[in-house]
Amino acid sequence: MPDSMKSSFRRVAWISRITFLEAIRQRFFAFLIVLSAALVISSVSFRFMDFGHGELKFVADFGFGGIFFFGSILALVMTAQMFFAEIENRTALTLLAKPVGRFEFLVGKFAGVWAVLGVFIFTLCTLLGLVLWGRHQELVQIAEASGRVPPDLSVGGIFAYTLLQWLRLGVIAAMVLAVSSVARSFLFAVVVGAMTVLAGQLQWIAQEALLRDKELGVLHQAFLWLITRLIPNLQQFNIGDALTLDVTSVQVGAIGAASLSGGVYIIVLMCIAGLAFRRREI
Amino acid sequence: MSTSLAISVQGLTKDFRVGLAGHKLRAVDNLNLEIPRGQVYGLLGPNGCGKSTTLKIILGLVAPTAGKISILGFPSATREARSRTGFLPEAPYFHKFLTGRELVNYYARLSGVEETKLKSAVDAALELTAMTEAGNRTIGTYSKGMLQRIGLAQAIVHEPELVILDEPTAGVDPVGAAAIGKMILEMRAQGRTIVLCSHLLGQVEQVCDRVAIMDKGRLVLEGRVDEVLARRDRQVISASHLTDAACAAAEAALIANGAKDIVITHPRRSLDELFRELVKGSRDA
Amino acid sequence: MLRALTVVGVALALFVAGCFAENSWRLVRTSIPEMGRKEIEPTLGQGVLLGILGGLRTVIADGTWLRSYVAWEKRDRAACEGLMRTACALDPRARYFWENTGYVVGYDMAHWEIRRRGGYAKVSQEIQDGLFKSYAQKGLAVFEEGAKHTGGNPGILISAGQMCEIKLKDNKLAALYYKRATEATNVPWFAYFLCAKSLWEDGQKTEAYSWYRKQWLEKLKGVGDSSPDDLEHLRYMEAELNLPLLQRIPRQTWEK
Repeated sequence: MPDSMKSSFRRVAWISRITFLEAIRQRFFAFLIVLSAALVISSVSFRFMDFGHGELKFVADFGFGGIFFFGSILALVMTAQMFFAEIENRTALTLLAKPVGRFEFLVGKFAGVWAVLGVFIFTLCTLLGLVLWGRHQELVQIAEASGRVPPDLSVGGIFAYTLLQWLRLGVIAAMVLAVSSVARSFLFAVVVGAMTVLAGQLQWIAQEALLRDKELGVLHQAFLWLITRLIPNLQQFNIGDALTLDVTSVQVGAIGAASLSGGVYIIVLMCIAGLAFRRREI
Repeated sequence: MSTSLAISVQGLTKDFRVGLAGHKLRAVDNLNLEIPRGQVYGLLGPNGCGKSTTLKIILGLVAPTAGKISILGFPSATREARSRTGFLPEAPYFHKFLTGRELVNYYARLSGVEETKLKSAVDAALELTAMTEAGNRTIGTYSKGMLQRIGLAQAIVHEPELVILDEPTAGVDPVGAAAIGKMILEMRAQGRTIVLCSHLLGQVEQVCDRVAIMDKGRLVLEGRVDEVLARRDRQVISASHLTDAACAAAEAALIANGAKDIVITHPRRSLDELFRELVKGSRDA
Repeated sequence: MLRALTVVGVALALFVAGCFAENSWRLVRTSIPEMGRKEIEPTLGQGVLLGILGGLRTVIADGTWLRSYVAWEKRDRAACEGLMRTACALDPRARYFWENTGYVVGYDMAHWEIRRRGGYAKVSQEIQDGLFKSYAQKGLAVFEEGAKHTGGNPGILISAGQMCEIKLKDNKLAALYYKRATEATNVPWFAYFLCAKSLWEDGQKTEAYSWYRKQWLEKLKGVGDSSPDDLEHLRYMEAELNLPLLQRIPRQTWEK
């Protein structure tokens, strides 16, 4: 590796480290992680509300739903906050006056936020995994006693889901950074970022229509094609239920393809953010 | 790259687009500056005169509309130029959870200070800014003067050839301001070039070798401090060992030769006075 | 020029990312229960949006189902059907939602409609019969859809068969549903009997016996507690059909 690349990596690593330390100290992070943890733990108590899905499915859905929802909020708000804190407090002035490239600055910010999101996701998924595993053990004993077939639970599936969700939050963070690079205020970045996340979660509707409805008109198809190319598909990472409770329903290569797609989205969105930020006046 | 100039600014113009219609607002208008190496250079002007924009353009934080800028012979905004430059912004803000030492260490790493020299560089910067003792406290506990000093430490930790200071004494008490002034002179003694933006004209006068005064984006005066402060409509006769009688005789001789308003003193006006006079003249024009 | 190149570059990069995402979606979509978008539209904005976005689908489906009970108690047909269908759409792999929606639509709603029109005394028998049939067909459509989404769940297919038997008085169609149920895994033992019974009552007595006998010999014989009951039914059919002894199922050692 050339020396210039090594020192570039070092600068990125240091910016991400400081971003991580700053983000992890935020009360907002602590609040969301505690709230999500409470939701995950309480999911076992709410299982009586379930209507015949299978108890573990309800617990998993409750936990995954909480992680998905609060994780999205965290990725959205924290990314915008970490970016605008540098701009509004003018620490970006001292930082970018050093031999730090603007893209290095953005990548450092992204990596720091993504690391915080990793802490969030891995903590909560470990907690959910423990809750599911504990209840699964009980259900296995009950099933054995009554001669029934015990429900399936894949610990590896929970781990795969954790990685996919982390990737999804990474895509959201990159989307918000791209928006923040052109936004003039934190509020604008959060509102527009939220709208892009919403569009990303609903993109699958257009994707499905494009793949299924072969009788659509040319214009309609062209429109759908454009939408599916412009907006990232965030739904592709939400296969927690299948990965955890029905791993056989997950096609071979699905996790790899979703990971690859998420990685490509992060790279492309970061490049867009870099282009937009290149000429921004600090 | 060898050059006698620390900063060279040629034909610098900066327009900002304002409002939805995108009306042009000229912040800097065809500015030409040449800042020699090894001097303390004062950049003065009223609020909104374009000096901060000029500094930001020099540092590559804002792109110019037109013009050419080079720092120590390198085009500005390049990594080569910025690695040789230190910058302290006006009213700096730093991550409060870091200690002073951690902060300076962080900026040293960003500036590319080698791992082996890191500790000594951080120590030297803290020592020069008299922050060695307070370096182990978190920045959240610092006073305004300490914040400025730690800001100065981060600016010089990589031993830059050029140090740009934007209002380094703003909000600092006279004692603190004097200490910062002393640090500036120490840096000059080490051979660095310092560009100073300040409203404390007394201090500028004390520490600067040259000054430039800007108004409405234009350069209205530039030169050595001694030269620009001298009044061309008056003469000063300097003499030593002059007795009172000799003074009276000299005065009488001057009157006899048509001289008026004779004052036997040091004929020097304050920079403050000159600054306000120049800005007022420019505004009236 | 540079700006145009940048725009083209960004568009190209997004195109590449979109292609990767499409490929990924083709593989991933089978793991995600397909949502019925049209069923969700009327109840959007009532907390359902979050379910569509991908999180808490089961929880929101359960909440929606609970709300449908309130509408059921009030006999509010539109609200009840809307909410029940939303629950089905949000969690289409849950048998419970499809089965109960089918029951409510097929069995209850015709009565609500008659009551809305003034009661049983006011509405003529002809119209009542028409309403029962029409709602039963709607209920049947719900079961059909449910079977499609749950991979042919035998419980839903048996419910559909019962609907055909009880409300549509169509034993032939009922037999078809029961037969489909017997082809699924984890089928309850009585599905075979129900199929044979429907065929029998439809007048296809020989076909009913042959099919039931084949199933008994191949699948049911010796399996669990159902075997003696099934054999008892088969013995009844043999007697009714007056089959010669050699054509009957040989006597089992455990048979009474």
